Amino acid sequence: MKKIIEFFKEGKSMETWGRLTLVLMAAIILEATSFMQQRFLARSTRREAMIKAESVLSTTRYEIMDVVEQAEQAIRDNMWIAQWCLDNPDSLINVTRRIVEEYTAVVGSTVALVPGYNKKLPFYAPYTYVKDGEIVFTSLATAEYNYPAHEWFIEPLEMGMGYWSEPYLDTNGGNIKMTTYSRPVLDPLGKTGAVITVDISLEWLSKHVGRVDIYPDAYSVLVSRKGVLMMSPSDSLAMQITLQEMAERLKSEKGFSELIDGMLSGKSGMVTVQTAEEGSSSVYYAPVPRTGWSMAVLIPEREVFKEVRRMGFLCMLLQILGVLMLIFILLSVARSWIEYQKTKDVEIHLERELEIGREIQMSMVPKVFPPFPERNDIDIAATIVPAKMVGGDLYDFYIRDEKLFFCIGDVSGKGVPASLLMAVTRSLFRNISAQEDSPAKIVEGINRSMDTNDETGMFVTFFCGVLEMHTGRLRYCNAGHNAPLLFTDHVQLLDVVPNLPLGVEGSMVFQEQQINLLLDDALYLYTDGISEAENPRHELFGLERMEAVLHERRTAMEHLDAMKAAIADFVEDAPQSDDITMLFIHYLNDNTQNNNMARHLILHNDIQQIPQLAEFVETIAEEKNLDQALAMSLNLALEEAVTNVILYAYPNGIDGLVDIEAFIREDCLEFILSDSGKPFDPTAAPDADITLGVDERSIGGLGIYLVRNIMDTVSYRYENGKNILTMIKKI
Amino acid sequence: MEVFIENENNVTTARFVGRLDTPASQEVAKSIEPILENPTGTIVLDCKEMSYISSSGLRIFLTIRKAAAAKGGNVIVKDINNDIRQVFMMTGFLNLFEIQ
Repeated sequence: MKKIIEFFKEGKSMETWGRLTLVLMAAIILEATSFMQQRFLARSTRREAMIKAESVLSTTRYEIMDVVEQAEQAIRDNMWIAQWCLDNPDSLINVTRRIVEEYTAVVGSTVALVPGYNKKLPFYAPYTYVKDGEIVFTSLATAEYNYPAHEWFIEPLEMGMGYWSEPYLDTNGGNIKMTTYSRPVLDPLGKTGAVITVDISLEWLSKHVGRVDIYPDAYSVLVSRKGVLMMSPSDSLAMQITLQEMAERLKSEKGFSELIDGMLSGKSGMVTVQTAEEGSSSVYYAPVPRTGWSMAVLIPEREVFKEVRRMGFLCMLLQILGVLMLIFILLSVARSWIEYQKTKDVEIHLERELEIGREIQMSMVPKVFPPFPERNDIDIAATIVPAKMVGGDLYDFYIRDEKLFFCIGDVSGKGVPASLLMAVTRSLFRNISAQEDSPAKIVEGINRSMDTNDETGMFVTFFCGVLEMHTGRLRYCNAGHNAPLLFTDHVQLLDVVPNLPLGVEGSMVFQEQQINLLLDDALYLYTDGISEAENPRHELFGLERMEAVLHERRTAMEHLDAMKAAIADFVEDAPQSDDITMLFIHYLNDNTQNNNMARHLILHNDIQQIPQLAEFVETIAEEKNLDQALAMSLNLALEEAVTNVILYAYPNGIDGLVDIEAFIREDCLEFILSDSGKPFDPTAAPDADITLGVDERSIGGLGIYLVRNIMDTVSYRYENGKNILTMIKKI
Repeated sequence: MEVFIENENNVTTARFVGRLDTPASQEVAKSIEPILENPTGTIVLDCKEMSYISSSGLRIFLTIRKAAAAKGGNVIVKDINNDIRQVFMMTGFLNLFEIQ
C-alpha cells in the first residue's frame, strides 16, 4: 500500500497516468465481459433448468399415473367378483383381501354396500388393510365411522363413476394419510349395490415417486383438486395444509396465486414465485389426468444459479487477481522507470562533470587564433573536436627564444583516465621544453617522468617538434605517432622514425630527425580520429581524402575548417568515435632572402646558459666551414659580449633576455646582440693595458678587449629601449 | 670542466679538463681555493686537456699568478693548445706566465 502511495506521489508523469488509465480500461473490459458471460450462462442455465424440471415433472407424473393406473386396474380386475358377491356379501371380504394382497400400491380396500341394497345387511363394509406389514380385517360399518357419510362413498355414487378422493387421515384403519379411489358396483340390473375402493398411502406415494434429485433443494408437490398438499418435501405437511396455506407459510410475495389458479384449474405451465423464505423459485406444474390432481416441481433460483454464481465468483476472483497483477506489473515498470530516471540523472551529472573536465582540458591548450598576431612569419591553427566522451588527444605550441615548440599526441583509451594522462603529458611537455631545446630530449624527459606502470597499460603516441623561426630548421622526434603531412612544392608524409609511444619503456632512447623548412612550407599534424573517421559503410576517411582537402591554398584556420567539413560530409550520420585533433603550421619566414642564413639564439640572463653559445657557434661554423681556431675565437667574443650583458645589463634577480642573431654572409659574419637592460655601451670602456706586469694588471676589463680584438667591427647603439651591439667578422 | 689538484714535493699541479668558460670559471674559482691559500713552491697549471678559455678563465689564472707572486711562488702554464695560446697572446698573458 505504501508503495502504491509512493507510486502516486512519485509517478506523476503522463506515462504513468496513461498506464493507470490502461489498467482501469482493462478492468472495465474484463468486468463487462464477465458480466455478459454471466448473463449468457444464466440464460442457458435457466433453459437447462427448465428442461430438467419439465422432464422431472413428466417423469413424476408418469410414476403417479402408474400408481393411479394400478389402483384403477385393481378395481377393474375385481369388479366382476364384487358384482357377483353383491348377493353374497359375506364373500366381499375375500375380494378386498385379494386386492390388498395382490397390488403393492394398495394399502387398504373395502366394498361398502349401499345402505338398503341388501335387506339383510343394510350396512356392510368389510375392510382389509395393511398394518405394520400384516393384513388386518375390520368393518367400516360402525356407528362411529358411519361410512355412507364419507366422501369416497358419496362422490362415486353421485357421479356414477370412479372417483379419487381428497387426501385424508384414515382413523379407522392404519391411521395413515391416504387417498382413496372408489367406484360404484352395479348389479346385473344396473342398480348400484356397493362402492368398491382402494387406498393409496400418500407416504408410500411420496417415497415411491416424490424424489426430485436434479437440484439438492428442489422438490415436488402433489395437490388435490381442492388444493390440499398430498405430497410434499415434509410429510407432516401433506394433507394438513392447502397450497394457499403453504403460500402463507413461505411468506409468498408474488406469483403464488397464479400458481394456485393454474394448478387448480388443471392447466400446465411455469410460474416464478417469490417468497420471503425461499426467495425466487421456478415452479413447473401439470395436471395428473383422471384424478383432478396437479403436480408441481419447485426449483429455488439460488439452486439453479448456484453454479453460475460460483463461476461468477471465481471469474471475479480471477479478474481481481488479473488486475492486481496488472497493477503489480505497472508498479514494477513504474519503479524501474523511476530507477531509470534516477540513473539518468546520475548519468547527466556525470556527463556534466566530464564536460567540465573537458573544458578544463581544453583550457590547457592554446585556443586563441591567430596565437601570435604580431608575427607574420608563421600561421598556426589547431583544433580538437572532442568525441562524446572526454578523450585523450592533445596539442600544444608556444614560442620561446624564437623557436616554436609544438606537439600533438593521442592517449590510448578514453574517459577520465585518458584525459588525466593527457593533462600530465601536456604539462610535462611545457615543463621540460622550458629548459630543453632538443625534441628528442623533451620526448625522453616526458617518457621518463611518465609513470610507466603496466597496470593501466596506457600509452601516448606523441610527436614533438622544435622549429627555429629564423632559419626554418625543424628538429622533431616522433614517439609512435602518425607521420605528419609535409607540404613543400609537393605533398608527402614527413619521414619519421616511429620509435615507441610514450609510457611503454621508460629508458627508451628516442631518435631525433631534422629538416629545413623554406618559405611557404607547411606541416599538418593530426590524430587517427581523422584518418580513421568512419562512415556508415565502415569506410575510413584516409590519407588521400586528407591530402585532397589540404591541396587548396588557404590559411591554417581555413584548412582546419575545411577538413572538419569534409569529415562531417564523409561520416554522414555515423557517430564520432574518437577525438579529432589537428595542428597546421604554415612557415612564412623568407629565410632565403639575400642569401642570408640567419641564426638566432635567445638566452636568459643566467650564466649557466652560456654553454649554448658553443653549440650556436658550432652550427654557424659548420654552415660556413670555418676553421676550429676562428670558431673558438668567435665563441669567445660572443661569450664575452653576452657575459657582459648578463652581468651588467639587468639588476640582480631580474630575469631578462639576451637576443643573439647571426647573419651569415658571403664575406662576413654579422652578430647582433640585443637586450632590454639599462643602457650600457661596452665600447665606451677603455681598453685593458696588456703591457702591464702582474702586479699592475687589473682583474677585469679583459672581456670587451677580447671582443674588440677578435671582431673586425664592433658598434653599439641604443634603440627602442634596447642595447644593440653589432659585431662583424670578416671571413 | 673539471679540475684535478695534486700536491707532490712542493709542486702543486692543477689539471684542467674541458672548457673553462664563464660558468665553469665560477666552479673552478672554488676548486682552486686551496692553491690560493698556500701559493708557495711551484704551481703547475696543466692545460693539456683544456679546450677553451674565456676572460673569466684568464682571470682565474691571473688570480693564481698574483697570489703566487705575493708569496714568492712560481706559476707554470703547461701544454696550452694553439687556440688558447692565441688568446694568451692577444691578452698579453704570454708575458705574465711561464709557458711550457
